[in-house]
Amino acid sequence: MKKKILSLLLASAMVVSMAACGESGNSGTAPEQPAEQTETKEEAKEEAKEETKEEPAAEEPAAEPSELTDGKFAETRKITVEVYDRGNDGGSDPENNMYTEYIKKGMLEQHNVEVTFKKVPRWTEVDDINNLLAGGEAPDVCVTYSYPTILTYADMGGVIDLAPLLDQYKSELPNLWAWLGDENIYWDKDPKTGTVWAVEGRRFEQQRIVTFVRQDWLDKLGLQAPTTTQEFEDMLVAFRDNADTLLGKDAKKMVPFSISKDVGWRAANIITSFMDPSISDKDYYINGFDDRMVTEPQTKEAVRLLNKWYNDGLMRKNFSLAPDDTEEDDMIKAGYVGAFQHNWDMPFRNGEDSYNANLARNVGPDAKFVAIDPFTNSAGKHAKWLYSTAGDRKSFFPITNQEPLASLLYLDFISQPDVIKYLQIGDEGVTHEVLDSGAIQIKAAEGDAIQNSGKNIDMTITCNGAYYGDKDLAALSLSYGYAGIDPELVDNASKIAMTDGLTPKNVNVGTIEAEAGVGDTLSAKRDQAYDLSVECAAADFDKVWDDAIADYLSSGGQAIIDERTEKWAEYFGDSDMLP
Amino acid sequence: MSKPMPAKKKVKFGVYMKRYWQLYAMLALPLIYLFVFKYLPMVYVQIAFKKYSIVKSIWQLPLAKNHGFEYFIKAFGNNDFRYALRNTLTLNLLDLLFGFPAPIIFALILNELCFQRYKKVVQTITYMPHFLSWVIIYSLALQLLTPETGFINMLIENLGGTSIPFLNDPAHWIGSYIAFGIWQNFGWGSIIYLAAISGINPELYEAAAVDGAGRFRKMWHITLPGIRPTIVVLLIMNLGNILGGGFDRPFAFQNNLVMKVADVIATYVYRVGIKGLQFSLTTAVGLFQSVVGVVFLLMANWLSRKLGDRGIW
Repeated sequence: MKKKILSLLLASAMVVSMAACGESGNSGTAPEQPAEQTETKEEAKEEAKEETKEEPAAEEPAAEPSELTDGKFAETRKITVEVYDRGNDGGSDPENNMYTEYIKKGMLEQHNVEVTFKKVPRWTEVDDINNLLAGGEAPDVCVTYSYPTILTYADMGGVIDLAPLLDQYKSELPNLWAWLGDENIYWDKDPKTGTVWAVEGRRFEQQRIVTFVRQDWLDKLGLQAPTTTQEFEDMLVAFRDNADTLLGKDAKKMVPFSISKDVGWRAANIITSFMDPSISDKDYYINGFDDRMVTEPQTKEAVRLLNKWYNDGLMRKNFSLAPDDTEEDDMIKAGYVGAFQHNWDMPFRNGEDSYNANLARNVGPDAKFVAIDPFTNSAGKHAKWLYSTAGDRKSFFPITNQEPLASLLYLDFISQPDVIKYLQIGDEGVTHEVLDSGAIQIKAAEGDAIQNSGKNIDMTITCNGAYYGDKDLAALSLSYGYAGIDPELVDNASKIAMTDGLTPKNVNVGTIEAEAGVGDTLSAKRDQAYDLSVECAAADFDKVWDDAIADYLSSGGQAIIDERTEKWAEYFGDSDMLP
Repeated sequence: MSKPMPAKKKVKFGVYMKRYWQLYAMLALPLIYLFVFKYLPMVYVQIAFKKYSIVKSIWQLPLAKNHGFEYFIKAFGNNDFRYALRNTLTLNLLDLLFGFPAPIIFALILNELCFQRYKKVVQTITYMPHFLSWVIIYSLALQLLTPETGFINMLIENLGGTSIPFLNDPAHWIGSYIAFGIWQNFGWGSIIYLAAISGINPELYEAAAVDGAGRFRKMWHITLPGIRPTIVVLLIMNLGNILGGGFDRPFAFQNNLVMKVADVIATYVYRVGIKGLQFSLTTAVGLFQSVVGVVFLLMANWLSRKLGDRGIW
C-alpha cells in the first residue's frame, strides 16, 4: 500500500514538473497542426506546381453591398482590432479606456459591429504579430509601421488583397476615401499586379526631427543659440568646460550632446546637413531602403564629425552599450544633458512626465529644452527630411479575417473627422479646454481618459498628428497640444522642423525582392556601422567605417541598391528625377 | 533457479509486470512528453527543404529550389551565418576550456573543507548566480564594467590606472562573457561532482593515509579517478552541444560594438528567422546545427569508449 501511495505521489510530482517544462519545450517553428495527410505527396507536389498567387479575397464569396442597410449589418458582426500596448507608467488600459469605449459604442450604433481590442506590445510589435499570425490568432485589423513585414506575409499568402474590396465597397467607405485619398490608399499598390496589401495611414503633421538645447544653460553661460554647425560645436565645448558651473557636484555626469545607439535618427539633422543639396530623386531612392541614410556618400563625413566630438568628450560615453533608451531618458530628465536631436515634439510629450516638466521639477522653473536650427548644408540651407503623407502606420487584414467589410467599416469609422477629433481631444474639461480664440488646449488627463500615446495615435491608426477634425482648428491649436507646455516653445519647434524641409516622394516600382526578410539584419548592421565609427579612435575612423559599410553591403545592402537601380531604370529610364 | 527455463520465463514476466507496473506507469508520462515535445516537432524539419508559408499546411508546401537545398546553399553563402558559426564554435570551445574544469576544481576544493557549516554557506552562495537570468546579470555587468561609469573601472581609474573596455572591445568582451559564464555556473555545476565524490569509498582515503599520502596525493589518486566516469559523461554531453548553447546569454551580452564576435547561431536564427520571417533558412541552419551536434556527440562517445571509459551508451 505504502508503495502505491508513493508511486502515485511520484507520478503526480512528475506531471507537475512536466507542466513546468512544457513552457520551455520547443513545439516547433511551424504554427499549424500536422495537417490531415489524406493527400499523397504527389498530389501535394502537383498543387505546389500549379500554385499561383491567388487572391485570397477574391475566392471568398464577396459580401454583397446589400448586406448593409443604412451602413448597418442586419446581424451583429464581430471583429478584433490591434492596439499598441506601450506599457507607460500610469497609463490607461489600452484595451479598455474612454476612447476604446467610444469606438465600440460608435461602431455598434453606426454599423452593428462589435469591436474587441487586442493589445500588442509596441516595441516588439513585429515579433508579436508574427506569433499571432502564425497561430491564426491575429486581430482582424492589424497595424504595423513595417511594410516589408506585411509584404513578407503577403508573399506567403497570409494577407488579404484590399484592392477589389476597396473598389467594391467604395460607396460604403466615404470617410476612408475622403481622409486617405487615392494617394495613401494606393501608395503601396503594386504597379504590375494591382494588389493593395495595406492602406497607409495619413500623417497630418510632417515635422520630423529637430535639435534641442537647454535654454537655461545658454543663459547661464551667456551664449546665443547657435546658428551654424561650428557654433553648435563651440556651444558643446562651452558646456563641457563649464560643467562645474552648470551641474555643480554632478559635473562628472555632464553630457553636452546625447545620443542613443540609433545614431541615424539621433543625429539626423547633422547627417542631412552633409547631404548633397542637389541630390537626385534617383540617388535618394536607391540609397533609401531605410531612412537613416547610411549608404549616402556624404554620410561618412557627418559621422567623422561625430567621431571627433565623441573623442573630444562632447558626447555621451558608451551610448551603444545601453540596451534601450530608459537610461538616457533618465539622464535627460535629471538635467545632465545639454543638447540632443529627436522627434520634433520630444521634450513636450507625455504631460506630467515630459522632459520639460521633469526638468522644471528636478532642476528649476527655468530649466527647459528649446528647439534650435544650427546645422547648415553646403547651399547654406537648414535642410531636414520631413515625413511624407504616408509612411506611418499601415493597416492590413490577415487572411484569417472573416469580416473584411466590417473591418473596412472600422477603418472608415475612425477616419470620420468628428471621430478623429474626439479620439484626439476627448471631452472638454477632462482632456482639453477650449480657449477664447477657439483653439483647443490639451490638459493632463487622469484615469480612463489618459491617452497612452502622443495625440492618441494608437487609437487613430489612419491618422497621425493633431488634426482635430478640421485643418484650421488644427493649425490654430497646434501649439496648445501639449499639456503644461508653453505654446511658444511648441510653435518654435514646429517652425524649425519645417524650415527648408524636404518631402520624400513615393517611388512605386513594385516589390523589391532583395528587401524581403533582411530588414532587421540591415537595421542592426546600420546601427553597428554608426556606433562603431562614432566610438572608435579618430585614427581608425576610415577603416572602421569602410569595413562596417562593406559588411552592411555584403549582408544584403548592395543587392537592394542594385535591384532598386534596375527597377528605377525599368520605370523611369535614364531620368534622374521622378516625372 | 533450478526450475526449467521456459516455464520460468513466462511466469516471471507476468509476475514481474504485476509487481512493477507502477514503475512503468511512471515512465509512460516522460515518454509521452518526449514524444509530443521532442519527436512530433521533428515533422517540421521539412521546412528546411521547402518554401515556407505561414498559412499553408507543411504538407502542401512546395519544395525549395536545388532539390530542396536552396536554403542550405543560401546559409553557407551568407557572411553573417559564417560569422555566427565561427563565433558559436569559438565561444563554446572557450567555455569548455575554462568553464568545464571550473566546477571540478571547485568541488575538489570544497571536498577538502572540514568545517561543515562554512562549506554549506559557500555552497549556497555559489549556487545563487545560477538562478539569476542573463538579463539581470548583464545589467550587473553594465553597472560594474562600463568604462568611466562602471564601478570597477572607476576603481581602476581612481587607483591611477586606465579604464578597461570590458564590454565594448571584442577581445575583452569575450573574456567578460566567458568569465560571467563561469561565475554563473561553477557552483551549480559542482553539485554533481560533489555527489560523485561522496560516493567514493572512504576506506580508500584511510588506506592512502596509512600509506603516507598527503592531501594532493589523495586528490590526484583517489578523488579524481573516482569521479572520472562523471567527468567523462558530462564532457561528452558538452561536446554534443558544441554548436548549440543557450540564447539568453549571448543575446543579453551583445551590443553593437562587439557583434562581430558576439553573434552566435542562436541569435542569428532569432534575428533572421523569427524577426526577419525567413523560417526556411533558419530551420536549415538549426538542422545543420543539430546534425553537427549529434556527430560531435557520437565521436566523443566513441573516443571515450576507446580510452576505456564507459561513455553514455
